[in-house]
Amino acid sequence: MDKKWYAFGTREVVFAALGAALYGVLSFATNMLALPAAGNIALRPAVCIPMFFGVAFGPWVGFISGFLGNIIGDALSGWGFWIWWDVGNGLMGMIPGFAIPLLAGYRDAKSLVIADIFVIVGVVVGMGFSSLTEIFTSGIDFATAFGGYFIPAALTDVINGIILVPILMVAYDAIAVRTGR
Amino acid sequence: MLVAWKYKERNTIIQRLDPRARWIFLLSLTFSIVQFWDIRFLLFFFVISFGHYFLCRLTWKETRRIWTFVLTLVVVIIGINAVLTGRGGPGEVLKGPKHILWQVEWVVPWVGWTISPNITVEKIVFAITQMVRMLSITVLFIPLAYTFNPNQYGVTFRGLGLPDKVAVSMDLAFRFVPTLARDFSITLDSQRARGYEVERLEGGLIAQIRKMAPLVVPVTINAIVGGEDIVNAMDLRCFGLRKRTWIHKLEYRPRDYVLIGLSVLILAGSTFANLGLGLGNFWMPGWALRLFGF
Repeated sequence: MDKKWYAFGTREVVFAALGAALYGVLSFATNMLALPAAGNIALRPAVCIPMFFGVAFGPWVGFISGFLGNIIGDALSGWGFWIWWDVGNGLMGMIPGFAIPLLAGYRDAKSLVIADIFVIVGVVVGMGFSSLTEIFTSGIDFATAFGGYFIPAALTDVINGIILVPILMVAYDAIAVRTGR
Repeated sequence: MLVAWKYKERNTIIQRLDPRARWIFLLSLTFSIVQFWDIRFLLFFFVISFGHYFLCRLTWKETRRIWTFVLTLVVVIIGINAVLTGRGGPGEVLKGPKHILWQVEWVVPWVGWTISPNITVEKIVFAITQMVRMLSITVLFIPLAYTFNPNQYGVTFRGLGLPDKVAVSMDLAFRFVPTLARDFSITLDSQRARGYEVERLEGGLIAQIRKMAPLVVPVTINAIVGGEDIVNAMDLRCFGLRKRTWIHKLEYRPRDYVLIGLSVLILAGSTFANLGLGLGNFWMPGWALRLFGF
C-alpha cells in the first residue's frame, strides 16, 4: 500500500476520534451486557477496535484510539484513571499500524496473517508495558506482574484481536475500494 | 443504551481550578510518590491525596464500585503479595535483618528441595508501605472521571502543549460518544430482532468471540462510513491550515498559579530529597519491632 504510515492529517484526526469513541463505547457496552466468559477471563471484544484502526489508518490513529478509548471507557464506567494501562492500550493499537507498508490489501490471506502477527506483537508490547509499569507503581514483583496482569490481559486480547481484526479488515475492504482511499 | 458521563458540576474548589493546573498537580504528585518507599514521606502524600479526594465531594454511592475494585487490588494483590514475598520493592526487605513471625519448612517431594516461606515484621511493614503508596496514587485519580468536564479534554491538552490536531481528535472523540452509543443500541436491537442472543453466546472462548462479529462489525463499519463524510466536510472547510481557536477558553487565575507553583515545588523537593540527599528508601520503624515483641 502506498499510504504513509506516519501521516496525521484530517483523515487521521477524524478516525482517531472515531476509534477512541468506538473503543470507549464498546468497552462500556460489553461490560454492561456482562458477556459470558471462561473462568475469570473477561471477554473484551472491543480491544479489536484500536488494533483494527491501527491497521486501517496508521499507528498514530491506533495509538489515540487505544489510549483515549481506554480513558473514555473508564470514564463511562467510573473506573478512575490508570495512565499506564491507557498507554499500554495505545501501544496495542499503534504497533499493528506499522503493518501498513507490508499489506497488499485488506482481504488477501497474506495481509490478514501479517496483520495478525502485528496484533500479537502489539498486545505483547502494550500489555507488557502496562504490566511491567505496575512493578514501579504498585511495587509488585515480576512474577505477579507477569502471572497476575500480563498473562490474563494478553491472552484474551490476543484471541480477541486475531479473530476480530481480520473480520473487520475484510468488511472494511469494500469501503476502502468504494472510497478509493 | 444510554451512556452518561460520570461527570457533573459540583461547584467545588477543585472544579473551579483550571483543568491544566489540575493535571500538572496530579502528574507532579504521581512522579513524586513513585520516588519514595519510606512510609513517613508516603504518609505526607497520602494526606494530600485524600485531602484532594474529599475536596471533590464525591458520594459513596457514586464511587462504591471503584472503591471495591481499588481495595481488592490494593489489599489482595499488593498487600498479600508483599506480606508473602516481600518482593517488588527495595532490596532491604529481603536482604536486611529479618525478624521472623511465622515460618514453615516444606520439602518438595521427588526433588527434595526445601522451601521455607515466612512472614517477617519487615514484610508486614513493607506491605503497609506498599498499600499506602498505591492508595496515594490511585486516590488522586479516582475523582477525574467525576469532576473533569469531558468537553474540556481537547482544549486542556492543547493548553498543555499537545499539537492542535491531536487535541481536536480528543475533543471530537468525546463528542462522538453519544452518537456511537445510539448506533450501537440500534444495531443491538436489530440483531436481536433477527434472533441474535448476545446474552446466550454458546461455545468456547474462541467461538464466543467470533459470534461477537455481528455486533462489532456493523457498528464499526457504519462509523467509518460516517467518518468519511466528516473528513470531507472538514477538508472542505480547510481544516488544519491555520492555528485553531477553541469554543472553551481557559485562563489561569491566581489560585491556578499557586497550585502549579506548589506542584512544581513538591516535585522538585521530592526529586532533590531522593536523588540529592538519598532519602526515601524503605524505612523500618523501631516501634514496629517492639510491637511484635522483638
